[in-house]
Amino acid sequence: MRVVNFAHGEFLMFGMYGAFWAFTLLHADPYLTLVIAIPVFLLVGWGSYALIMRPIVHTSHNVQVFTTVGLSIVLQNLALVLWSGEARFVRTRYYGSVVNIGEAVLNLAQAVAFVLAVSATAALFAFMRWSYAGKLMRATAQDRDAASLMGIDTDRIYALTWAVGIACVGAAGVLLAPIYAVYPTAGLQFVLIAYIAVVLGGLGDMIGALIAALIVAAVEVIGSYTIGTAWKEVLYLLLFIAILVVRPAGLFGQRGAEALGV
Amino acid sequence: MKNIIIAAGAAGALAFCVSVTQAQQLKGEYKLGVLEPLTGNLAAQGKLHLEGYELMRDLINTRFGGVMGRKLVLVVGDAPDPTAAASEATRLATREGVKIITGTFSSILCGAASEAAARQNVIYWETSCVDPRFTRRGLKNVFRTEIDGVGFGWYNVEFIAKYLAPRLGKKPNELRIAYIAEDSSYGQGVTEAARERAKKEFGMQEVALEYYTYTTNDLTPVILKLKNANPDVLHHIARDQDAILFWRQAREQNFEVKAVVHAGATGYGNPGFGKALGNESNGPFALSEPGVAFLVDKLRPDGQKIEHAFREALKAKTGSDVPAGGHQLAAGGLWLLKVVLDAAKTDELDKFRAAVMKMDVPVGSLMNGWGVKFDESGQNSNERVQHYMLQWQNGALVTVWPEEFTSSRAKWMPLGPWNQRK
Repeated sequence: MRVVNFAHGEFLMFGMYGAFWAFTLLHADPYLTLVIAIPVFLLVGWGSYALIMRPIVHTSHNVQVFTTVGLSIVLQNLALVLWSGEARFVRTRYYGSVVNIGEAVLNLAQAVAFVLAVSATAALFAFMRWSYAGKLMRATAQDRDAASLMGIDTDRIYALTWAVGIACVGAAGVLLAPIYAVYPTAGLQFVLIAYIAVVLGGLGDMIGALIAALIVAAVEVIGSYTIGTAWKEVLYLLLFIAILVVRPAGLFGQRGAEALGV
Repeated sequence: MKNIIIAAGAAGALAFCVSVTQAQQLKGEYKLGVLEPLTGNLAAQGKLHLEGYELMRDLINTRFGGVMGRKLVLVVGDAPDPTAAASEATRLATREGVKIITGTFSSILCGAASEAAARQNVIYWETSCVDPRFTRRGLKNVFRTEIDGVGFGWYNVEFIAKYLAPRLGKKPNELRIAYIAEDSSYGQGVTEAARERAKKEFGMQEVALEYYTYTTNDLTPVILKLKNANPDVLHHIARDQDAILFWRQAREQNFEVKAVVHAGATGYGNPGFGKALGNESNGPFALSEPGVAFLVDKLRPDGQKIEHAFREALKAKTGSDVPAGGHQLAAGGLWLLKVVLDAAKTDELDKFRAAVMKMDVPVGSLMNGWGVKFDESGQNSNERVQHYMLQWQNGALVTVWPEEFTSSRAKWMPLGPWNQRK
């Protein structure tokens, strides 16, 4: 689609609220909520595409940027009106449980989120590579006009692509809810670093984004510990700039790869 | 039962009539600009402050004769960031025609808002932000009712050296102290003031210093550094969710320290900390306005009167008579503004300023047990703005120091293992 969604963090925040309310009102474990959240957010994605993105998907990047930034502000304030600015917490029975790996101590929910995120990335990769719908999505990304001539309903493919993206971020929100406080601007703290990982890995390269995310995390944590916490953003942004100077398409990307859908 | 209902109804009607009569006696309106972040990252605290202003406005109008005999009306602007704070301050001055603006609680916002107010020759009455630079810019239109970051640091070290140290079995100069703080002027201002006093006056041993951005989503590296530094006391100035994040991750990493001390109505001083963590929140201290177990009757008669009235109004609205720090700072600041305006009888800057400088009110006379003595910079003095150390105890922020103002006592000194703080 070649649309950067600046409201991605807000869909993540709604995923977190979904887990919070399911836990608070229905006593549903976040991992049970996850099963329901994925189809729900798929529908939310489909609906938001039909209402907001369809009219602007073929317009200039400026229009798309302003639209998604506007959507981000609307969603943040919607959450503020609905649930106030108060931070909420999903306090599961196991929220204080930790996993020891050697001398490293990990929160159990963090470890589970990591495993599920890697699994989801692998599943998405397989879906894009081998499923019929995935092939249609890649074909549409490579050449929309040619795809239309081959009989592909490109508008439906765009809707599906957008919906899959929203389902993934909704699921991520549910996975993060047992780890972080839930509040209307909770998504903001994750979006910048997510964009950096995606661009660093190479636009359009899912495995590249995964590896880049691990590199950014390692630089952030090691840099914070050895140099100083105040420097952590500086360190990974310097790395980001340095890599883009040497490899403008990112670590694993090829020039124009996002257009090829590989 | 029927008689009780009739009596209650009659009492209610009488109270209503008195209120209406008092409201009718007010001649005209007095518009006051209020700037708070009502959207964005700081909205939770901004809304608490606005609620405090509104409760106090209603009290002033219905029970305390309004402002200069007029009905107080708040004109509210949303200030989620410094740019919006400046433009809203300008709008309130030029479009709404207010002569005084109050707000903005945050050290991120108060500088920009007050500069814009100064350009419009409007008085800026800050009730909460603690950036020490706020009153050091030579602006004659700027006043602050709350103490600044230097005052917070001063109080925290006073508490650590004179109250905590003996209870931890150490002399102040034997204490190993670590400092961490979010990196805005609030966190840095308080921390640097505390560091200076702790070292120069008490010779405490500083073993770590770390600043971080309050929107961070991982404080594990800081905690690992602290574990290596092995402090007795952690001086942590947190802004918001960073306090919750730190506490959770400290527990996961089993970081044990003898005491944690914070200052301000944010971070550990925010009611959200206890709500998020329940009994897991037990232990940390937060310098703030008085909390649970505060002995209102220890105040002077004037202070008792307004404190009781405010707590009753709060209870009627929220069901709880224990105000949050944001309520107290906003309401206490607005009450003091009313007192000054009634004395000055005008909002003209020179006369207003003269009335502010003339005020000399002892501790215990106003809300929160405050007194008044402003200096030439427009800052109310540390000694008059009485502050209190609260401690999280079983989900509540309990007043524990100074002991003459509270019926409760501090617990968990030292904090001990995480699973034994019950």
